[in-house]
Amino acid sequence: MSVIPQDAYRRDAETNPYRPWPARITSIIDLTETEKLFEFRIIDPEIRESFTFQSGQFVELSIFGVGEAPISISSAPSKQGFVELCVRCAGDVTGALHAKQCGDVVGIRGPFGRGFPFQEMKGHDVLLVAGGLGIAPLKSLINHIHDERHEFGKVTILYGAKNPAEVLFRYQFDMWKHRDDFDLILTVDEPDESWDGERGLVTGLFDQIEVDPDNTYGAICGPPVMYKYVIDEMRKKHMDVDKIYVSFERRMKCGIGKCGHCGVGHQYTCVDGPVFNYWEAMNLQGAI
Amino acid sequence: MFFRMVEKDQIADLVRGLASEYEVVGPVEKQGRFVFAPVTGAEELRLDYDTTLLPPKRWFFPPEETIMRFRTADEEVTDDEVFAPPRVLFGLHPCDINALLLMDNVFTRDYVDPYYKARRDNTLVVGVSCTPSDTCFCNVWDTDEVHWGFDVFLTDLGDRYYASLRTVKGAELLDDYVKSSEVTEEDTAEFQRVVGEFKQAFDNDVDTTQLPVLLDAKFDSPIWDEFGEQCLSCGACSMVCPTCYCFDVTDRLAPDQKSGRRVRTWDSCQFKEFAAVAHGQNFREGRASRVKYRYYHKQWGYLSKFERVLCVGCGRCARACPSDISPVRVIEALQTGGVR
Amino acid sequence: MAPRVVVIGLASDFGCQVQMTNIEDHLLDVLGLIDLRYWQLASSGHLPDSYDVAIIEGAVTTDEHVALLERVRETAGVVIAIGACAFTGGIPALAALGEIDRHCAVVYGDTPPVAGVTRRTPGPVGSVIAVDYHVPGCPIDTDEFVRVLHRALQGLSDRPPQDPLCAVCKTMENVCFLERGQVCLGLVTRTGCGARCVTLGRPCTGCRGLSPEANLPAAAGVLESRGLDGAELVRLFDLYNAAREAVR
Repeated sequence: MSVIPQDAYRRDAETNPYRPWPARITSIIDLTETEKLFEFRIIDPEIRESFTFQSGQFVELSIFGVGEAPISISSAPSKQGFVELCVRCAGDVTGALHAKQCGDVVGIRGPFGRGFPFQEMKGHDVLLVAGGLGIAPLKSLINHIHDERHEFGKVTILYGAKNPAEVLFRYQFDMWKHRDDFDLILTVDEPDESWDGERGLVTGLFDQIEVDPDNTYGAICGPPVMYKYVIDEMRKKHMDVDKIYVSFERRMKCGIGKCGHCGVGHQYTCVDGPVFNYWEAMNLQGAI
Repeated sequence: MFFRMVEKDQIADLVRGLASEYEVVGPVEKQGRFVFAPVTGAEELRLDYDTTLLPPKRWFFPPEETIMRFRTADEEVTDDEVFAPPRVLFGLHPCDINALLLMDNVFTRDYVDPYYKARRDNTLVVGVSCTPSDTCFCNVWDTDEVHWGFDVFLTDLGDRYYASLRTVKGAELLDDYVKSSEVTEEDTAEFQRVVGEFKQAFDNDVDTTQLPVLLDAKFDSPIWDEFGEQCLSCGACSMVCPTCYCFDVTDRLAPDQKSGRRVRTWDSCQFKEFAAVAHGQNFREGRASRVKYRYYHKQWGYLSKFERVLCVGCGRCARACPSDISPVRVIEALQTGGVR
Repeated sequence: MAPRVVVIGLASDFGCQVQMTNIEDHLLDVLGLIDLRYWQLASSGHLPDSYDVAIIEGAVTTDEHVALLERVRETAGVVIAIGACAFTGGIPALAALGEIDRHCAVVYGDTPPVAGVTRRTPGPVGSVIAVDYHVPGCPIDTDEFVRVLHRALQGLSDRPPQDPLCAVCKTMENVCFLERGQVCLGLVTRTGCGARCVTLGRPCTGCRGLSPEANLPAAAGVLESRGLDGAELVRLFDLYNAAREAVR
């Protein structure tokens, strides 16, 4: 057999989509018992510069020796140079991340997937509905809308959590409750004596809001069981199927449409989603 | 495309010549079945093989490969080189070459996979015509013919090969290592006669009418429960499939935990954890839903993206499945509403 | 501070502890991560009063084993069961098939084999105490053992492979034993061994235990459809898995 020539080895560091970029943790905020908000700064200045994203997109968070996990970005695209991830301690990778300190380095790949149609939403009312950890990707959208608030009509946010201790970003929402440019309603299933918001499921809040059906975009993210019921409420308000957007959580392992784990219906969540409009989602067998 | 006639006794020269420049991989016998393995001479090759245990995908996308090495202390990648030696895959059947084209769609478009791509670029493909076996159904998908994705294709005309030269490299190889002759009108007529006979030789005919519609319209059909009861969730179908590309990625630490490797391995949508997320939610918990997903993706999901079904009718899964679940049976069940 | 580790053997042939010495090249690297306080096979000392990680080999066959395990569980933060005996009851559990007293009488006659020991129905470690990490197999695979030890030290979840063996056997390009008319337990056995036995020409005997995803009725049907006896599956599986009901 012939001697193996030099070019038998190839190096594609610049273009290898599986290669994570080292990123330093610049801030950690404890949100609840199980969720923390991490802020990362990609170390390589060129990569950092070129890292732009849309609300609703996700990154693959890598901790070598443990693995990778897909996490949706919760900071607004307008906040440049940093990536903010709200992470629940739910598995090995997220557990290992929770054990990290400020200043530690992890790996990040991305951004991946299709986000919310921000440009398309401009000039319209927006109704955002989140359940539990589903607020993480929606917070990116909310903050982005906030940064360009004059481009939008009425903005309504409905957010439900199990109990007051599990309400994420409460510090921000407590401030926003007094603003008149956002209609924010929080609800919990199990209130305590300190709770001054609503009680019950997020679907119960639809009686309190008015929706202009021809002019409103919907954005939904929450646990899988929530989608059907929230969409039903939006449809009762006569919102268009192609103006209701949902964000799916699936096992996006490679992030680039190859490994197959995030398959839903005939699509891959990682490249065709994670944000789908309701018409598309209805066409994904087994999705909702 | 250009064509040349090659006498069969020239194949020994061709393989010898190729072996001086490339690693030559071709079909060899193993316990009465066949595998693609490195060979040093044509006498080891069994160009009359029916099908191989594993498809040629393993030479582009190995069952297990290190995609990078890392240091844990600072999360640095220390190496992500791809080992892609110059190689010739010799004796691929049309179904398997078509399967490579389907894999190319996934691995060499949008986010190019550097590992697959490097090997694909460094590998020459020499195809050879075949005779249908009783599990073959490539005729159903029109993958019994192939017109690109190879360098040379040899159609067996008895004592000679009708060689189709698809690439410059393929033409050069033939020039360099064998004496070939011009194709005459009679040769092409003989070629037509041989492929005509080949087309008549298939036993399996499957009604693929409106499959995407049936997959959606019969999504809740009890046939899936029946197949689910039979399925062993062993993943054998995915491993032997020339078009299954799903993979898993895991990190393996060195014994001292200071460094490690990120490794990707073949995976299967038939494994229970395949679609489970960290919180514990599993989107395809039941066996039936996983069997269904396999076919739904192959016959409709992939089709919706790349305009081809993700099956080439090689019949390997039909042979490998201990429970005899096969595309032919599944498609029949979809058409008739009953599992046979 | 490196975690303090002890290695304890119950009823077994100590083969898995021998496998630990077979880590050879990397043994010192692994030992560098831990503070090995006691290794039944290799040390003459006594089990210390305090430690962090207990690695347990062997099946539970006496009341004294139970008492020891209960003490271990109270002491150790992490318990790792290694090998078929500890994980599934393994070969020792065979004794519980049929009448255990009759089996013992055949082997030992009227006299008890060891003085001051009270015999009990053999079972896996997990039938007596909670086990945090599992390394299946007879014997264990050294690489897998090191991987599981790493996971335990990193605080990651216990993830023994779940699926049946066939897939990896296909990647080894083995000709299926079923095609050759022989029963192979790979159909229902937990993967992770790389199909080593089949690759070496021997059907799988199920030493890694039942795959949690195994479809036993379908597997029996597969044997029947090939003219083999479906009940043979369960009978052969008993070799390493007679106590499978007790596996947690």
